[in-house]
Amino acid sequence: MFKDIQDVMGKLSEQQYIASDEISTVVYLAQQLGKPVLAEGPAGVGKTELAKVWAAASGRPLVRLQCYEGLDESKALYEWEYAKQMLYTQLLRDTLKDVLSDAKTLKQAAARLSQEDDVFFSEDFLLPRPLLTALTSDEPVVLLIDEIDRADVEFEAFLLEILSDFQVSIPELGTIKAKHQPMVLLTSNNTRELSEALKRRCLFLHVDYPDFESEMNIVRMKVPDLTEDMAKQAISVVQELRKMNLRKMPSISETLDWARALVTLNAKEIDAETLNNTLTVLLKYEADVQNARRRMG
Amino acid sequence: MDGRVIEFVRGLRAAGVRVSLAESREAMMAIQIMGIRDRDLFRETLRATMIKEVASYRVFDELFPLYFSADDPPLQNVYDDLNEGDQNMLRGALQAMSGQLDDLLDWLTSGEGPTKEELERMAEQAGKNYARDHRDAVYVTREMLRDMGFDKLQEKMAQLVEKLLEMGMSEEAIMKILGVMEANQEMLVENMARQVGRQIAQDRAERPEGLQDSDLMGKAFNSLSAAEKLELRQELGRMVNQLKTRAALRRKRGQKGKFDAKSTVRASQRTGGAPFELKFKRNRQKPSLVLLLDVSGSLRETVDFALRLIYELQDQVSKVRTFAFYRTLSEVTHIMTKIDARNDDEIYRPVRAAVDGGPYQTDLGACLQTFHDRHLSAVTGRSTVIVVGDGCNSYNDPRGDLLQDLSRRAKKLFWFNTEDPYQVQDDSDMHVYEPYCDAIFPVRNLRQLSAAVDKILVD
Repeated sequence: MFKDIQDVMGKLSEQQYIASDEISTVVYLAQQLGKPVLAEGPAGVGKTELAKVWAAASGRPLVRLQCYEGLDESKALYEWEYAKQMLYTQLLRDTLKDVLSDAKTLKQAAARLSQEDDVFFSEDFLLPRPLLTALTSDEPVVLLIDEIDRADVEFEAFLLEILSDFQVSIPELGTIKAKHQPMVLLTSNNTRELSEALKRRCLFLHVDYPDFESEMNIVRMKVPDLTEDMAKQAISVVQELRKMNLRKMPSISETLDWARALVTLNAKEIDAETLNNTLTVLLKYEADVQNARRRMG
Repeated sequence: MDGRVIEFVRGLRAAGVRVSLAESREAMMAIQIMGIRDRDLFRETLRATMIKEVASYRVFDELFPLYFSADDPPLQNVYDDLNEGDQNMLRGALQAMSGQLDDLLDWLTSGEGPTKEELERMAEQAGKNYARDHRDAVYVTREMLRDMGFDKLQEKMAQLVEKLLEMGMSEEAIMKILGVMEANQEMLVENMARQVGRQIAQDRAERPEGLQDSDLMGKAFNSLSAAEKLELRQELGRMVNQLKTRAALRRKRGQKGKFDAKSTVRASQRTGGAPFELKFKRNRQKPSLVLLLDVSGSLRETVDFALRLIYELQDQVSKVRTFAFYRTLSEVTHIMTKIDARNDDEIYRPVRAAVDGGPYQTDLGACLQTFHDRHLSAVTGRSTVIVVGDGCNSYNDPRGDLLQDLSRRAKKLFWFNTEDPYQVQDDSDMHVYEPYCDAIFPVRNLRQLSAAVDKILVD
């Protein structure tokens, strides 16, 4: 548990994550109000990373649900373990025979069996998927629902129930309530508009590309081998690139990759040649690379 | 403080930001936890709990200082720093200079400033009630300053200095007076702008203006003004989202169809023949649409809104093919794929240009014939055909038989009728087509249109 916002900031930075005031405020509020956080922003600005460090800083395990088109309840919540159920019916055949031995008619046997069928639909045969894992965990967890915008609208509607009550109902077992309410972080790259109902249930956090100073701090922290002077040059190039009209802007993770590449290449300064050779680390489309080369001379 | 927050929420809503009751309640809870001492923190707290869209950040950032600035800084009193002789001299000089700027000079020297009522009266005179939103505060304030005579202030102050010199006040004291008055002047302008902005935002919040409840949704397409059209178009995006959520929920609930014996038996092979997993047929599919649009001039707006709505909902349908008709018919699907329904102003024109025709030249029969000859393969047992039009046929042969044929081939055939039920045209052939339609929906305004589209997404 975080004591206050400064505590959030301190503990996240211990995990090598530089949190802005906004991020720390929202994380602290989420903990105090028990609300999920919806983090929105371009790819590669540290939304997923935030969940990881949040878990590490609060000493909780991280449960991750990666969303994709076609994700449904059985893959997100639970499945019955058919093979195990089958195996047990085979192994327990003799016992079953004993149980049913004194039944005189088929009807009696069926009735007797139906008394026992709870055995096969019990928690022993339940295969929990991330959502159920997060709900039933003995210790409180951080639940990361990654790239929710990729899942279908149907799945979003299903998530609503879980996020508001933190309980699910499984027809064979009844309602399962969360032992501990998990801290939930949903991320979205904004490829589609999320429903208002989902947004209403969450605290909203917009994570954008960092300004020069923050990015400098991040690079200095994550790639300490890069000299300060080089870091400055590198980041001004990146910030300059973000002002251009590119198909994909370089994100923080790409800045870090580039910084590491510069260290590996033992570059002393960022001249035209170095830039030319390493630009593909930052930009992922040929058109962007061409565009940048033209503009930066 | 609670009152201010509630007023702020009303201001946000009036500016078009959706803040639900649950969200404002949560904001209150959050404030209790975070406290209000740190203004930045307070701001972040409100924003995280109430604003759920980046696009709304701007409105929030504009309105926040209007409602939660530190209380307006008081003006200074010039007299405080002067000795008694100088005070009397200043009073005398001001009295001698009686004129239109009395009030202003008085405010600037006494440090009293106008009262709230005075300010309100002045703002009203300056046209506050005509302001559309808080961004107009700048203009209103400028107008107020002119009314007060700010443009003549420099002149007036020069006269005052002259007068004071005449009366024998020391230069040092005069400089002091001028310094305070200038500082007060700046402060006064700032306070005024903020108060006016707040008042405008509040006024707006008090005007009832929910678009959903307003008449605009129910206003006929062809009687909309340009501004109203724009407003409705902005509302369209929100409506699309609602329709999508509803359609998705319906699909989810209706997901399990009939028991599928074949798949169940196949799945049971995995478990040694014991049917652990029951399989059901998925019975709801996304509809595939074929649109036939009457693009004659009178349907301009209807076609525009219908196309925007349907193309925004593209992910809810498996396929859309669009045809335009007037005197002739041709396919416009390729034109529609190039159009950005959310941002482009003009959708009607390129679609209209694809076909021939002029006033009173609609020929539905011939168009149906063309469709029948060239594009019949577009319609299969899975397609929903939608005809948008008023059924006016300029006394040509309606060819009801062709529509009947179409209706037989398609899964469903709907007619979106734009005809005014109280002014049926002489050349209307709706009565011929009616028996072959699965349903006819009136679509004379956005409310009807969205209801009709909603129905189609179900079937």
